[in-house]
Amino acid sequence: MLEMSNISKVFRTEVVETHALRDFTLTVDQGEFVTITGPSGCGKTTFLNIAGLLENYTSGTYLLDGQDVSNLSDFQRAKLRNEKIGFIFQSFNLMPDLNLFDNIDVPLRYRGMKAGERKERIEHALESVGLASRRKHLPAQLSGGQQQRVAIARALVGQPLFLLADEPTGNLDSNTAMGVMELLQEINAGGTTIIMVTHDQELAETSKRNIHILDGQISNLPSVSQTASINPPAVSATV
Amino acid sequence: MLLYYLRLSALSYRRNPILSTLMVLAVAIGVGSYMVVFTLNYVMGGDPIPYKSDQLYHVSLDTGDPNHEDDPPEQLTYLDATALLDADRAFRETASSKFGGTIEPANPELRPFSIVGRGAMADFFPMFDVPFLFGSPWDAQADESMDNVVVLSRETNDRLFGGDNSVGESIIMNGEPYQVVGVINDWQPVPKYYDVNNGPFDSGEDAYIPWRILPAKNYSRPGNTNCWKAIDGRGADAFLNSECVWIQYWVELRDQNEAEDYLSFVNNYALQQKELGRFERPLNNNLFDVQEWMVEQEVLPDETRILSMLAGMLMAVCLLNTIGLLLSKFLGKSGEIGVRQALGANKRSLFIQHMIEAGFLGMLGGLLGLGAAAVGLRGIKYLLSSDFMVTDLIQLNVPVAMYTIALAVIATIVAGLYPIWRACNVNPAIHLKTQ
Repeated sequence: MLEMSNISKVFRTEVVETHALRDFTLTVDQGEFVTITGPSGCGKTTFLNIAGLLENYTSGTYLLDGQDVSNLSDFQRAKLRNEKIGFIFQSFNLMPDLNLFDNIDVPLRYRGMKAGERKERIEHALESVGLASRRKHLPAQLSGGQQQRVAIARALVGQPLFLLADEPTGNLDSNTAMGVMELLQEINAGGTTIIMVTHDQELAETSKRNIHILDGQISNLPSVSQTASINPPAVSATV
Repeated sequence: MLLYYLRLSALSYRRNPILSTLMVLAVAIGVGSYMVVFTLNYVMGGDPIPYKSDQLYHVSLDTGDPNHEDDPPEQLTYLDATALLDADRAFRETASSKFGGTIEPANPELRPFSIVGRGAMADFFPMFDVPFLFGSPWDAQADESMDNVVVLSRETNDRLFGGDNSVGESIIMNGEPYQVVGVINDWQPVPKYYDVNNGPFDSGEDAYIPWRILPAKNYSRPGNTNCWKAIDGRGADAFLNSECVWIQYWVELRDQNEAEDYLSFVNNYALQQKELGRFERPLNNNLFDVQEWMVEQEVLPDETRILSMLAGMLMAVCLLNTIGLLLSKFLGKSGEIGVRQALGANKRSLFIQHMIEAGFLGMLGGLLGLGAAAVGLRGIKYLLSSDFMVTDLIQLNVPVAMYTIALAVIATIVAGLYPIWRACNVNPAIHLKTQ
């Protein structure tokens, strides 16, 4: 479903070259829940941005659902993002002027879906995160945990192939964070692939597969979850 | 999506009310000031008879002073006007000039009053599409026989007959009875193209009579009279045989062939007159259609051109401010733009969304600018004396109002192109992490 081979990302300025990712190879199969860990600046977010087609890579190959994404136009990349990827962000990134219904509506609008179908999907998404009764509320009227649930509903409403979550619990207290993690696990159990970046080793250990990144490369050191994993990763990550 | 984007624009306004209001004000001031000047130009320089302005020609004969290199006279001498009339070579043609008169109402309760009238040929009315409220123009026979017939303006008819149909009634004008054959409806071409020499923004005349009556009865001439050569002798006949110009002469020619034929005719006429010792300058006769005549006569004063430039510069300054404000507003939305990109928006749809937002602000600016323009025009009306022009004509009308709003919308969208382009080309990844 997601195949990255020897992906490198170099940020260049006039005086310095920074290698955010080096020969990064990773395959994620349908239905997996993969956590990505590593220290600040190791390349976690760069990986997520490349995986989410928000950023180009310098070299390597990236196949998304079997399609090489290296030479896609802006229009094609946007279409792929809309149809196959759901994003969940640390700071939720809900639009403050739009109520919950309209926030979740955004990706469906860009898909050009008809109003009736959009409404049905949004209501179902809101129900699935337990916020159906608050569809007319603005994000500011919700707690952090509730806002992240709305963001998850927005990510799910387009029925994507996989979710990319960037520190989804980073702005939440531990209890709320656990609630969000439980929700993500439920979603994964329903068959949706999830790739989650986190600093939190404890949370990483709750996933079936943990990838540790160091200096833009996948670390050889196995994480706790990898050694304890009942289901080993379908394809191992290599440097 | 248009309605969706409009709704987002309204929400965006609400999110940044101060910045958005500043933009609307900048657009309103720029567009409003420009529209004040535009309206003045529109009123003063528009085509007063667009559907046939290229078929109506002012006849210019160069009977000027051979010792000066000035332009040909703007009007014709009596000798030339009558010669052209007698030749009868145009599809329609009219000599015309102002006359002064006094009307003595039959109603003893009304006091006699002065009027400014116009002597014209019967063709004058169909040539210039003069609208009639009652009756019709006199006929060509009345021109030749100089019948005492009169066409009244609506105001004069109101004054004399209380607005009733006065056709067939008789009035006393300059001591003689005139029979009313028609009453014209409101008619105020702007500019008053058929007689720009006597004030392109003057109001219309109070009464119209066959033009040949004016010289025949030696009616007073309140319009311009210019003589480059001393009148040879005394009295009315000497004046009529002089080189003094005081008659406007217009012809209606249906196509270019007729125009060429007519110009050839007047040139031949001038050559004949040269043989008689007149037309002493090199041949320089012209036919000017309505628009050409407005330009030739510089109907739009220089001040309006300077005002136009100033208003254009003010508008440019306001739009430059708008660019800065839009840049600030749209770059401030980088986070939202990044999120929308992550959710599936392509750059084109983001561009359109923000163009509509700029257009929305422009529309609000245009509406406010319309109000500003209305206030500005009231000020102009207050400042301009009614001698200069009929100030009631200076007002916003539907086409001007629509043009104002369209101008504001388009100008704001153009001003927004760079800010929108910048905003749509930010790296979404940066803003998604930090928003």
